[in-house]
Amino acid sequence: MTWPHGVGIGWRPEIAGFVAELPGLRFVEVVAESLAAGGPLPAGLAALRERGVTVVPHGVRLSLGGAEPVDPHRVAHLARVAELVDAPLVSEHVAFVRAGGLEAGHLLPLPRTREAVTAVVANVRRAQAELPVPLALEPIAALFDWPDDELDEADFLTEILDATGAGLLLDVANVYANARNRGDDPHALLDRLPLERISYVHVAGGAERDGLYHDTHTDPVPAEVLELVGALCARRPPPALLLERDGHYPPAAALRAELDALAVAAGHPVVT
Amino acid sequence: MNTLAAPGDTWGIPGPLFLKLYLLVAVVAVVGTLLHRRRATAGPDPVTADQLGPQQVAYLNGGDQLAIWAALGGLRAAGAIDVRPDRRLIAAGPTPTGVTPLDHAIRHAARQPVAAQKLGRDSGVARALEQLRQGLEQRGLLIDADGVRALRRGRNLLLVLLALGVVRLVAGLVNARPVGWLLVALLVLGVALALLARTPRRTRTANVLLRRLRQSSHHLSPDSAPAYATYGAAGAAMGVALFGTASLYALDPGFAAQAEIQRQALNASSGSSYSGSSGTSCGGSSSSSSCSGGSSSSCGGGGSSCGGGGGCGG
Repeated sequence: MTWPHGVGIGWRPEIAGFVAELPGLRFVEVVAESLAAGGPLPAGLAALRERGVTVVPHGVRLSLGGAEPVDPHRVAHLARVAELVDAPLVSEHVAFVRAGGLEAGHLLPLPRTREAVTAVVANVRRAQAELPVPLALEPIAALFDWPDDELDEADFLTEILDATGAGLLLDVANVYANARNRGDDPHALLDRLPLERISYVHVAGGAERDGLYHDTHTDPVPAEVLELVGALCARRPPPALLLERDGHYPPAAALRAELDALAVAAGHPVVT
Repeated sequence: MNTLAAPGDTWGIPGPLFLKLYLLVAVVAVVGTLLHRRRATAGPDPVTADQLGPQQVAYLNGGDQLAIWAALGGLRAAGAIDVRPDRRLIAAGPTPTGVTPLDHAIRHAARQPVAAQKLGRDSGVARALEQLRQGLEQRGLLIDADGVRALRRGRNLLLVLLALGVVRLVAGLVNARPVGWLLVALLVLGVALALLARTPRRTRTANVLLRRLRQSSHHLSPDSAPAYATYGAAGAAMGVALFGTASLYALDPGFAAQAEIQRQALNASSGSSYSGSSGTSCGGSSSSSSCSGGSSSSCGGGGSSCGGGGGCGG
């Protein structure tokens, strides 16, 4: 279990054959909920593990931001999956996906209040107690802000990270999306985030619809996001960057070009 | 002298003597046939076999028809073939790069609208398939016609031997002679014959290569919802070659259904049963699409039969 390093890509069954043929690949991420806790691993993922590629389980359903305590069964699943792939760490979102027994089906943003910080910290600590490896937290892209926000994004995150000791999974595309949709300067946010806490970085494509930028994961990575990756690396180079693509997969050459562009922007060796 | 030929002996040959001779000949015939088959179906060292193209894999996995479907998968992924509202295929766009002779022949046949099921009857397509087959025979992956005939000779010898034994059995029964041991010998021979009944077309090397490919290409299985845009035309063709026309439906369901291509999911067990003795088509005149081998599980939606042309795919 090697800590994520260099440029990686989100492993999805749809592109398993493409990922398998990336000669320089050192790490991938897999949606934790897509794996069976008892195994076996999908053949493509097992082959990557045999090659010594680091696999990081990425949870999307834990609902760490929920007002109610995090579901122990879901934490147990994440823990078992981490052991199954011999992961050095796991990651989850600072968001809630269910409330009052209702499933939103989406990652929903939290109101940035002291109360929310307390709730998230409690849930993260509950999860950390059961997980065999460190946890990294990912702030999500929010298309709206709650009216009762007390903290700005940087303070909100820093408080949670400080209280829990969790790592930061920074999604540069989210930083870009949030800043653009709020009319803020994304570089200003980078200046205020605890970049030394970054475990690894997410980069994804998106598209503008009806005046709002959507973090779709199904479109090419815009030049502005790559530029922001460069700006981040100029401040403090993260150990690893991961391209997330979740559908509308382009021809292999286009996907390779995105990975190469990411490697160039971050100053890492190309993996293609 | 009585012991050698008693008046009651069937055909004047005493039972124990006939049984001894019969067993001797049967053992020699079965062992000889097995040894011959083992040598004739070996194929070259799998390590030395070069990479196989999708259409070669398809031919090995399901003969002429699957090779056509694999080529169609590649052409469709490249945007080089279209289907008209009247369900016939028509060539589209410029010729893609890297086309094989079979791709070329199919596009040539589809200059005029042509039903997918009738592509195999086009003389150019038939010639390309013939080339494909000969290439595989030369590489020692398919057994050629002479080899198939030789394999059948061994099997036919056993069949004659079995028939002789059955006649002797009947004659013995009519003569009211003991036939228990002969019956046992016939049953054993019958089992041996049943095991040898299917004449393989593929060599064992080809089977090994197909098995390896199925394992290493699991990402092309329709179960993985392959991103065909990422894998390109060759990936689409290989998907059809390994996993059947279910891959065509995964690639472009509208196209596959409109062209009335029968949905067929191949798996490891059905893929290995392709044999030359009965060809690859089933369903006779009611269905012009094919199933690989004799597997009853290889045709989706149709139970054990292949069903009519429009029954599965339409």
